[in-house]
Amino acid sequence: MRMLKIEKKTYTSTKSILFGSLVALLMGFGIASLIFWAYGVNLLYAYQKILKGSFGSSFAVSETIRRAIPLLLCGVGLSLAFRASFWNIGAEGQILAGAIAATWVALFSGIPEPLLIPAMFFFGFLAGVVWGFIPTFLKSKWQVNEIITTLMLNFIAASIVLYLIHGPWRGEEKRGFAYTNTFPQVAWLKMIGTTRVPWLTLILGLVAATLVYILVWKTTWGYEIRVIGENPDAGRFAGMSHFKVVLLVMFISGGLAGIAGVGEIAGIHHLLRNPEHISLGYGFTAIIVAWLARSNPLAVILTSLFFGAMFSGGDTIKVSLGIPFQAIYAINGIILSLLIASIVFTDYKISIRR
Amino acid sequence: MNWQSWLIGIFRSMGYGTPLLIATLGEIYSERSGVLNLGVEGVIAFGAFVGFAITFQTSNPWLGLMSAGLAGGLISLIHAFLSITLRANQVISGLALTMIGTGLAGLFGRGWEGTPLPFLARRILLTQNNFIFFTLILALLLWFFLFKTRVGISIRATGENPAAADASGINVWRIRYWCVFVGGVLAGIAGGYVSIIYRPAWTEGTTGGMGWLVIALTIFSFWNPIWAILGAYFFSAIFHLSFRLQAWIAPELLKSSPYILTIITLFFIGILKLKIKKAPAALTQPYERGE
Amino acid sequence: MKNKTLFLVMALLCAILMVASVATKTVEAEEKTLKALKAGFIYVGPPGDYGWTHAHDEARKICETFFPWLKTIYVESVPEGQAGSVIDRLIKEEGCQVIFTTSFGFMDETLEAAKKYPEKIFAHCSGFERAPNMATFMADFYQVYYLNGLIAGALTKTGKIGYIGAYPIPEVKRHKNAFDIGVREVNPTAEVHVRWINAWFDPDAAAAATESLIAEGCDVFAFTEDSPAVVQTAAKYGFPSFGHYSPMYKFAPDYVVSGQIVHWEVFYLDFLAKVYAGLYTNQNLENVDYWLLLREGAVEVGAEPGMVINPIYEEALKAVTVDDSLLGKISVYDLCLKRLKQMSDPSMVFDPFEGPIYDRNSLLVVPEGTRLSVSELTAIEWAVEGIVGPWPGEPGVE
Repeated sequence: MRMLKIEKKTYTSTKSILFGSLVALLMGFGIASLIFWAYGVNLLYAYQKILKGSFGSSFAVSETIRRAIPLLLCGVGLSLAFRASFWNIGAEGQILAGAIAATWVALFSGIPEPLLIPAMFFFGFLAGVVWGFIPTFLKSKWQVNEIITTLMLNFIAASIVLYLIHGPWRGEEKRGFAYTNTFPQVAWLKMIGTTRVPWLTLILGLVAATLVYILVWKTTWGYEIRVIGENPDAGRFAGMSHFKVVLLVMFISGGLAGIAGVGEIAGIHHLLRNPEHISLGYGFTAIIVAWLARSNPLAVILTSLFFGAMFSGGDTIKVSLGIPFQAIYAINGIILSLLIASIVFTDYKISIRR
Repeated sequence: MNWQSWLIGIFRSMGYGTPLLIATLGEIYSERSGVLNLGVEGVIAFGAFVGFAITFQTSNPWLGLMSAGLAGGLISLIHAFLSITLRANQVISGLALTMIGTGLAGLFGRGWEGTPLPFLARRILLTQNNFIFFTLILALLLWFFLFKTRVGISIRATGENPAAADASGINVWRIRYWCVFVGGVLAGIAGGYVSIIYRPAWTEGTTGGMGWLVIALTIFSFWNPIWAILGAYFFSAIFHLSFRLQAWIAPELLKSSPYILTIITLFFIGILKLKIKKAPAALTQPYERGE
Repeated sequence: MKNKTLFLVMALLCAILMVASVATKTVEAEEKTLKALKAGFIYVGPPGDYGWTHAHDEARKICETFFPWLKTIYVESVPEGQAGSVIDRLIKEEGCQVIFTTSFGFMDETLEAAKKYPEKIFAHCSGFERAPNMATFMADFYQVYYLNGLIAGALTKTGKIGYIGAYPIPEVKRHKNAFDIGVREVNPTAEVHVRWINAWFDPDAAAAATESLIAEGCDVFAFTEDSPAVVQTAAKYGFPSFGHYSPMYKFAPDYVVSGQIVHWEVFYLDFLAKVYAGLYTNQNLENVDYWLLLREGAVEVGAEPGMVINPIYEEALKAVTVDDSLLGKISVYDLCLKRLKQMSDPSMVFDPFEGPIYDRNSLLVVPEGTRLSVSELTAIEWAVEGIVGPWPGEPGVE
């Protein structure tokens, strides 16, 4: 049986990372082209449309940014979590937690109108933190695998949303359909110009990315996070508290995801509805966004934009090319696999052992 | 409501539990060898489609099931290659598999929707009962294999301490590849079961959500095939009960109970420091000789 | 280093591609015949659901074949909340002049878009908000469910009939009520046991709900769910059922007695023709609300088009008779066909929701001799007597 000898390189240059990713992307697009061709779509036309649909007009750019914002917020949080080797797969659930909190504030809290938006973000952040706390606690105290706990909490959060919209929070104005009432206008996020991009969450995302970057590389906290992430034993040896570090990390990660949820609810939906339509898989996509950015919050800005463009271009594919959306889903998966493989080739030196 | 109707109800709910059990048995093997496969959702969907398509073309459900299994196994090799050979992050790799599997299933499935399999209802009922029987036997066999044979011990060793296993001559990579492959085959069969026997038709999203239940169930059954039997039918009974009890308990809360129970299970494993029933220690860690 | 140059070349290529895409015009040629109309359809699910979206899509295709001047484009599986940006794309990038949104959940976004694009025309399905350039439309099954109920009442041996519904919204409640009214007309002691799966599409849940009702003793089944799961599950145990939305006869030819079938093209053809002819403009749609029933041909009763009652069940239905005050002693089979004729008549000689009707708490909800108006029909929350089971939002019960 052939054996690949794989050694981790001591240093990987940004250039080779970019190069490797680019090759993977091109291969991915190559496969995508096959699918387009199978659907009888002119390839040049297809790519023109896709690029135009993601960047080619101010509308397209705004769509790309709009889709990128929740990915940016969650991605930054996840990049921090992953850096501490805490595999937070629960961003979907934390988004929903934020959404629930925002709904409560807007409809049931009785908070005075001018304070509604700040309150929504405050409580949304808190809700995300709370939702992320359970797996954090379980991991720190009893080494319970966080991959599973965070994953399960996604479904539980979705169930809670479903319960609320069908039961106690069902809106009287909605003729029996499963929605809460629509939020008052003051609780709607303001957009940039005529686009659908809410400036508040955009700024929050960019600020978060910067702050987290500073946190990780310029503070002692950040140092501890990095040590715990790469070598937990060394950290323990040096007297670092694993619990406190992970708590801080998840505080930010859960909170940012909660904010993403608030952004979606207050910016797009203005009510609570079917959880799948709220979180839209952003929590899972953000995992990939963070991973692709090698857990670097500034790079997350780029990768979130990239995926924003994929979504936006995907919409174009759906609308203009008539290619079923499942194709995009499959293409994304294939591109992701190729990117995973490319990481190996950039991060590791491979030789065949005979 | 009399006892009999409840019992009948429970038995009737076994239908959903059977594919759940089959796929879980596969995931147990995969995780026992140390590889977490989050892509089960995609594998099941892909298997469901392939199984349906082949059965439709050949009018042979057994051929359909076998192809479903084979398709599931093959597509899981993507995850195996990425996470075992290339030692990539198992979470990401698994998610990629989910995307590919569900995407391809939905993509290829277009045009097949609404076409029923031209079979008699009677034949299906017969097969379903047989299948439950087969599945139980399978679970017992797999339990025996895992705990009472040398290969089974090797598998478990690989999942607990791959370095030690490697040192004692076990081919860690081969074991993991096989386990992921078998996991995929079983997940594929489970998917095929749903689209051929349980509800013979193809519609978009026909197996939605089963993969995540499988992951929960794998843990809930403490990675043990026998307990998985109880767990699978218990989960499916909850599902069935959520309709019976609709008037008293909100169905959404009841349906989230498998996930809650899983967390509670993990909590107890952790707090009681159960040595016997812990997760395979090396789960999700790629293995490299000399690292 | 070789890698470096390769990388730069790749980056350059990408940049060129991007610039090219922005700079050049699209390849697609705009076919401008005399006067073309482009309509965009927004679906909440995939046409492959063989249910709601499938039916709309079939209608769309019929329109395209029928009208040479019509071009259509559809977008499937649009999540609620995203319709707004899809509409933006359809209008800005695809040049659509008419937009159809086919789910209640798109209502607010459609209204918003109607205000944003006052020159374009919008039509929203199953909603209640309108604007000068936004109409509403709906094809309702309550009459068809009533007819199915007549049949169910005659076929049941246990006196218990199951109805698996999606959401406890007035639409589904209305259908369950109509079904029950039909059942009780033939079999005054029979019960309709209801369940809600809280989803439009969830075959597993529908199958489980069916099994749960079977365990309760039900032996005939109707449902509101976008898949043949109930039909197949019921057939598995040998029970008859009524197909929903799309012709489901082929899923169990021995067990599908009848059903509800929709023909959305009745709406689309009419609406698009009127838009094209200039009868409907972006100014006069404020009060345009299509409420389509049997007499318009938008809905049909049957296991498949043309088969009102499955011939296998003909004999059984002829064997059961009912004493009707106006029609005398009549077999259920003939009663069913007679009622169909009465309701298909333009003046709608018969309506199931004509009083006196009592809900299951013995309240008189429809007084003698009156019929429910359209707005009352779309707001039904009560359960007719004979219905057994959970009924969220039931008035007077909290």
